[in-house]
Amino acid sequence: MSDTPQPGYDSRLFRRTLLSVMAIQVATLLLLWLLQIRYTR
Amino acid sequence: MRALDWVIIAVYLGYVLVDGVRRAKGTREIEGYFLANRSLPWWAVGLSVMATQLSAITLIGTTGQGATDGMRFVQFYFGLPLAMVILGVTLVPFLHGARVFTAYEYLERRFDARTRSLTSFLFLVARGMSCGTIVAAPAVVFSAIFGWSLLWSVALMGVPTVIYTMIGGVQAVTWVDVKQMGLIVFALIAVMVTLLVQLPVAPGHALALAGAAGRLRAFDFSFDLTNDFTFWSGLIGGTFLMLSYFGTDQSQVQRYITAKSVAQARSSLLMSAYWKIPLQALVLLTGVLVFVFFVFQAPPLLFNPAAEQAVRAEEPAMYGVLDERYRTALQARATAARAVAVARVRGDGEASAASLEAFRAREADVGALRTEALGLARRVTGTSAQDVNYVMPYFVLHFLPVGLIGIFVAAVLAAAMSSIAAELNSLATVSVIDFYRRWVRPEAPDAHYLLVSKAATGVWGLFACAVATFAATLGSLIVVVNRFGSFFYGSILGVFLLAMIPRARATGAFFGLIAGMAAVGAVNFGAPSVSWLWHNVIGAVTVVAVGLVLSPRRA
Repeated sequence: MSDTPQPGYDSRLFRRTLLSVMAIQVATLLLLWLLQIRYTR
Repeated sequence: MRALDWVIIAVYLGYVLVDGVRRAKGTREIEGYFLANRSLPWWAVGLSVMATQLSAITLIGTTGQGATDGMRFVQFYFGLPLAMVILGVTLVPFLHGARVFTAYEYLERRFDARTRSLTSFLFLVARGMSCGTIVAAPAVVFSAIFGWSLLWSVALMGVPTVIYTMIGGVQAVTWVDVKQMGLIVFALIAVMVTLLVQLPVAPGHALALAGAAGRLRAFDFSFDLTNDFTFWSGLIGGTFLMLSYFGTDQSQVQRYITAKSVAQARSSLLMSAYWKIPLQALVLLTGVLVFVFFVFQAPPLLFNPAAEQAVRAEEPAMYGVLDERYRTALQARATAARAVAVARVRGDGEASAASLEAFRAREADVGALRTEALGLARRVTGTSAQDVNYVMPYFVLHFLPVGLIGIFVAAVLAAAMSSIAAELNSLATVSVIDFYRRWVRPEAPDAHYLLVSKAATGVWGLFACAVATFAATLGSLIVVVNRFGSFFYGSILGVFLLAMIPRARATGAFFGLIAGMAAVGAVNFGAPSVSWLWHNVIGAVTVVAVGLVLSPRRA
């Protein structure tokens, strides 16, 4: 079995990683923001 | 620490040594030694990038910062995802496609040899010094807590790291990093769970107490150039710092040019970016929970045992009085904290608000006494009395269960070793490729360069250990490390930005680089109140502006 990536594998990998980055960033920042406004007076 | 903890630490040290050294198999040329023949998978590279950036300072200093200062340090990383996306479409294809060993090699192709040599020299100075502080951070804490000599603490981390990096090269660095990253995350989660179990109040009440004490303030939107951690300094200054660090610092560049392709290199950077903010938030939140834990479990007046001993010996009466007032203030704070929990359980909004206000006042009393004690320690010891780096070790050694102490200490060692290994590997690469092969011996068999590279790794290891013994008294080490870099990072980034502008010329790049460093120096000494995060912006913008002025358009 060859370990050479299929054509288009690299660009799919990059797109998928980029989307995950954005989703995790937004979720984390939102959580931090909610913690701040909920508990900091 | 019990026997089980020592066994865990010994097993960890033995395992990384064996795992690192066995990676040397098949490495007979410098392409394999420094770049793993550009064959590593993106996820391993991504984890290695993260492990390199996450040092012992992060585990010890950042958790301490969370306990004493709260979440606001997380803003420092807000520019990271943006920087990674920019690098993914700009520098990464350039550097990966250029098939270079070092980022600075590319500068000679684009400009000239003097620009390459100056930037690589600046890298060697900045990284050589910062590698020393990275060894020093845990070494200082270990020697203060366990009573070991500083030399022994430095050797415990330095010797195994130098051995596996020297023998195994970048393959050893990367694959050991992957395992070290796993150990670090496991230790952090285990500590977080233990804290939640040991707290006498529910997590919601704990967060309310942390919030009342200002520890959950993660966003500060004020535009204050003198404040180190604001949303804007993190987003703008942080983006420039991260662009410089990940785009032009060989210790990072060397990680992703080992990837199989440009897309895999980009993905590895993005992966490290998307875990960075959650991971830093987890580290800081662990520190915040340690703060809440110490609301109910009386902490010492001074966390640094060496400073406490010195003050007790020198000023016994004054310290005794201060300690007694501190104990009383702690009791009042704990009582106020319990009242908050009771009011919240009852669901009485008015009583809850009043009890939070009372808790805030008692917390201010405790804080004032701590400031007084730190001032006394500074006067007695004559050195910075900041004890932020001792808060977490105190908690770990006194309150974690047997076994978990060993795991946490092993994780601190792992964090230190992963950063040191990557830096030694990159320092050796730049020394051999940008200086030895470029200026001393341009033509030699690969076996010769391989031998010189291993020797260079060993020499840099010794240098870092020597610097570590001097950096020991530099105060909050986390800021010190970044401060070292900030003097050069922005200017080096400026040169790489110039390289992407077609009209830029070699003379402009060289003198722009000098002007950039002069500008940062002038701001640092002329306006010391300007936060160091802005130095990167100033350096980069000056280099690009001066570089373009000195690169006249051809007629």
